[in-house]
Amino acid sequence: MTTQERAPTPRTAASGTLHVRRAGASGTLVGAAGLVVLVVFAFMPVIVSEADTTLLVNFFVLLTMAVMWNLLAGYAGMVSIGQQAFVGLGGYGVLVLAMNGFDPVAAIPVAAVVAALIAVPVSVLLFRLGGGYFAIATWVVADTAQIVVSSITSLGGGTGHPVPGLSSMSPHTFAETTYWAALAVVSVSLGIAYGLLRSPLGLLMAAVRDDEVSARSAGARVMTTRRIVYVVAALGCGAAGAILAVSQLQVQPSSIFSVQWAAEMIFVSMIGGMGTLEGPILGTVLFFVLQQNLAQDGAWYLIIFGAVAVLVAIWTPRGLWGAIRQRTGIELFPVGYRLHGGARGLVTQAQLLDGGSAAGSNGPGSRAGAVWRRLRS
Amino acid sequence: MALLELEEVTKRYGQLLVTDRVSLRVDEGALVGMVGPNGAGKTTLFGIISGDARPEGGRVSFDGVTVNRLDPAARCRMGIGRTYQVPRPFGGMTVFENILMATQQGGRLRGRESRLAAASVLGRTGLEGLANRPAGTLGLLGRKRLEVARALATRPRLLLLDEVAGGLTDPEVAELMDVVRSIRSEGVAIVWIEHVVRALIDTVDRLVCLASGRLVADGAPAVVLSDPSVREVYLGTDVAADPGART
Repeated sequence: MTTQERAPTPRTAASGTLHVRRAGASGTLVGAAGLVVLVVFAFMPVIVSEADTTLLVNFFVLLTMAVMWNLLAGYAGMVSIGQQAFVGLGGYGVLVLAMNGFDPVAAIPVAAVVAALIAVPVSVLLFRLGGGYFAIATWVVADTAQIVVSSITSLGGGTGHPVPGLSSMSPHTFAETTYWAALAVVSVSLGIAYGLLRSPLGLLMAAVRDDEVSARSAGARVMTTRRIVYVVAALGCGAAGAILAVSQLQVQPSSIFSVQWAAEMIFVSMIGGMGTLEGPILGTVLFFVLQQNLAQDGAWYLIIFGAVAVLVAIWTPRGLWGAIRQRTGIELFPVGYRLHGGARGLVTQAQLLDGGSAAGSNGPGSRAGAVWRRLRS
Repeated sequence: MALLELEEVTKRYGQLLVTDRVSLRVDEGALVGMVGPNGAGKTTLFGIISGDARPEGGRVSFDGVTVNRLDPAARCRMGIGRTYQVPRPFGGMTVFENILMATQQGGRLRGRESRLAAASVLGRTGLEGLANRPAGTLGLLGRKRLEVARALATRPRLLLLDEVAGGLTDPEVAELMDVVRSIRSEGVAIVWIEHVVRALIDTVDRLVCLASGRLVADGAPAVVLSDPSVREVYLGTDVAADPGART
């Protein structure tokens, strides 16, 4: 076979060989770089102070939420302003499990799965609505969840409840454990998002977002696609909420179900760049840099956040990463596809497969020789 | 056995009867042209076959199975591929990704096989040079080609082409015709709506004419075009003598 994936020498365009490659950096390189970053972050509690670890926990929590919101809205086109429903359910999941004698840290993945399971019936209701109605309904779901949870007196009602089972840990162990748990959650979230986008589901999501009707006619199971993404987003947000419950030592309905989570995940995704994996990471970093430098200035910090959002929306609607990618062509996570190879090779390949009936031999294919370098306009 | 069979299919939009008891058989490997004035219900009939539109009455069966209750995705996976008159590409994806998505979903291929199939479709539809272009940046010819390519990538047994030659220049039409002939040569049945009647009569072996939702003629192209009811539909235009005539 002359067609190969991720060819060792992709620039041999004249050899008449077609290569289908992932766009951007090579997969192995990204994997190796990711591993290095993970190892560096894993040693952070040894290097930095406890205050900094706490800050990093919050960073990981917001990054997890942003990655999930970006999957929902940036890739699958479902604009939700109610993901705090699953943040809250994840937090309360940890609380309920801990009150029943579970180790709170071990309860984190269980609580995330519970949030994801709740998302299945919720999606059945929400998916009957489209566009703006869907968005408002997600918020209604979040508020409903908060009201229901607040009315359960055994969980502390509206004032919330401390998470039992954490006091036995020394402050140092607690800080380290929380940190590693948060690091695990964000790593798995990024891994899932990257894996989804590289899988056929990645193309499927983008197709459904771009044109639902023609996606259906091309065989896309639209509802199933949306449901998978919605449930995965609930899983991630549930895990983020579970981390919050542990790191804050308590759960309080008005804070864990707060619409502020939705605002923050939308803000960082939008300024970073929706529809790219890099965007939410950049956005979250920027958010924390701004917050750290401006928090002491009171109201100014909110005004500057608002101004940044407005400026980004006006000048680079695709977010900062979108602008960077447009200028430089850099893609850190190879999720798209690029074809490289000789036009002649492609036609030969087509003829081989189709018994010589390729129309490309007298079509524009024959004039396309020069075009076959890296086509990325 | 007929690959596609419509029996007494009826569809209304409010008071307007857009498909009026249409019955139609398309055999395996057939190439059927469909003509008729604007508003005759041709595109609606495609919608009824592909699942985009739900008929109020009648039966649609494909490969011996009644598909009335199946959604477009399920019908596509059974082997019904369609194009849209106004192209509907996935604008944010590259041309190759548009096609790959179709080989993976409608075509039900995975991994290397799906990429090979997509590359082959690229070659056959003359889109190789545009493989890495975002589909949203394509011109009209590119978009029309991509419509055909994406439908072809679903590995259809029946392909519904909705005015793929509309708005193109003569050489462009000729190029598209080559593509359609090559698809046909593989045994794919095709139903082809076209206003450019000349493009059709050279290629199809059967022509059907729709008017006001009804099937008014069905048979060999020359016979259909000389049919009095077809001439009447075209308001006296001598379609046979002026095959390029547009309604």
